[in-house]
Amino acid sequence: MATAPGVDPEVPLTQDVSWIAENYPLGEGRNVHVSVFLIRAGEKNILIDSGSFYHRESLVRRISRATAGAGIHSLVLSHSDYPHSGNIPAFRRRWGDFEIVASSGEPEIQGLPYARRSRIGGSLEVAGRVLDFLDPPLADRSHTSWIYDRGSSVLFVADGFGYHHADDETGLTSRQLPDGFRSEEIYTFHRDTLIWLRYADPSVLMGVLREMLEEREVSWVAPIHGNPIAAEHLDDYLERLEDGVRRIVREQAV
Amino acid sequence: MPREVHPGIHWIQEFGPDRPGIASSLIDRGAHWYRPGREIHVPQNAFLFAGEQTLLFDTLSPAADEQILADLETVLDGRALDYLALSHPDVPHAGNTFRILERHPGATLVAPRFGRTHELYHLEDAHKVGPGDSLDLGGLRLHFHDAAFLDAAMSMWMTEETSGMLLPVDWMGLPLMDGEGLLFADEFRSPVDVDRYAEFHGRVMFWMRYVDVARTQAEIDLLAERYRPAMIASAHGPVIRADVPRYFEMMKEVVERVATGGRTGVL
Ligand SMILES: [Fe+2]
Ligand SMILES: [Fe+2]
Ligand SMILES: [Fe+2]
Ligand SMILES: [Fe+2]
Repeated sequence: MATAPGVDPEVPLTQDVSWIAENYPLGEGRNVHVSVFLIRAGEKNILIDSGSFYHRESLVRRISRATAGAGIHSLVLSHSDYPHSGNIPAFRRRWGDFEIVASSGEPEIQGLPYARRSRIGGSLEVAGRVLDFLDPPLADRSHTSWIYDRGSSVLFVADGFGYHHADDETGLTSRQLPDGFRSEEIYTFHRDTLIWLRYADPSVLMGVLREMLEEREVSWVAPIHGNPIAAEHLDDYLERLEDGVRRIVREQAV
Repeated sequence: MPREVHPGIHWIQEFGPDRPGIASSLIDRGAHWYRPGREIHVPQNAFLFAGEQTLLFDTLSPAADEQILADLETVLDGRALDYLALSHPDVPHAGNTFRILERHPGATLVAPRFGRTHELYHLEDAHKVGPGDSLDLGGLRLHFHDAAFLDAAMSMWMTEETSGMLLPVDWMGLPLMDGEGLLFADEFRSPVDVDRYAEFHGRVMFWMRYVDVARTQAEIDLLAERYRPAMIASAHGPVIRADVPRYFEMMKEVVERVATGGRTGVL
């Protein structure tokens, strides 16, 4: 079973944002989350990303339960990579033709001809909520955007801020991780996911990243492939991330 | 209609929709090669390798599902498709995989070996290849490599030995104007230059904004040295068949341009 029974309920982050954590085991005691997040915007429900088809049944069941059967009214995609966008047809069959918001130069090429387009650097009102779409310093696909929910101050960071968590860390936020984050698993996640980091100038990258996080109030950093990071644990994660990037650069020297 | 770029190697191109958004940013920054009013397209290429056996490299995007099936029919001309290889499981490169396999049920699916998340892409049963692996099609010989400049981690590059062709996938693409479909780089009327390549890489490889320029340029020198290609066939650019070293030099300048000028947009 991919997701432990103990993490079946949603994990509340703020009053109206919760984490629906799904787990994918990588073997040898390492795992990666492939999650979605739910924003309760009054009577409407916004889902951030749609998860992987690998977790389809579990996601449908858990989203139904979390929304008392109402399902979702808007789906906002961080990018069209399959583990983020794999359940759109299934969710639409279940909950009707809800609105889909996707960042892309060309939604048709990404297989999303019906999507409402978000623009990096822009903002949109989605289900009565204002979302800012930010240029992500940590991403793989060109059209990825980070999504900042002004209402909750949660920053959804797609492939950024991931973590190869241990078997017993599935579904735990930074406040619940018994020993906090380990540098090694921040490093392996980034080494294996964002291949371009081998070319990075760590100070340039970390400078942009820190500036971005200082520009706005952030209550939680919410990664699709990691354990959510509460504001008070962000500096610790960033320090370990910087070490990890420096290590990638050092070890993959040209 | 596909174009044969070397005996047995056929170039299939999805020209893609007009991109007025890219055009207006070109006007804003006064890109010297762009004439206002011309359409801008970002092409998506697939290549069919036909030796004694046949292999298709990439599938075009879901918007071109009918086109890839029709073009494939044209170049196969009644022959079977033996392999479908995916450079990376990105929607615009791999989005027609199931359609193609449905039409060619005998074809073996080939995917990059990199990583441990193949199940999340329905690729757990694919034949996985990586550095050191080759495939002899009879008359054409393919070799698989790690991708050096890429977006998805699960990616690969490919070379074909008899033509000296390097397929660098998302690297070395550029935006086309109307009338520039399926042209070799040396056939363009308005020259293929650094500015055009920078426009593309400042979108697709937005991360070049965060790189150490000297280090990244050193990697490009190394690639030129290692592959010494006679031809380059990008998934998003014109096929290059002449003056190849000049293009590696241009790509070094591109890195510098994006690192200092920032990203040009999205794709
Ligand atoms: Fe991704
Ligand atoms: Fe991802
Ligand atoms: Fe790609
Ligand atoms: Fe691409």
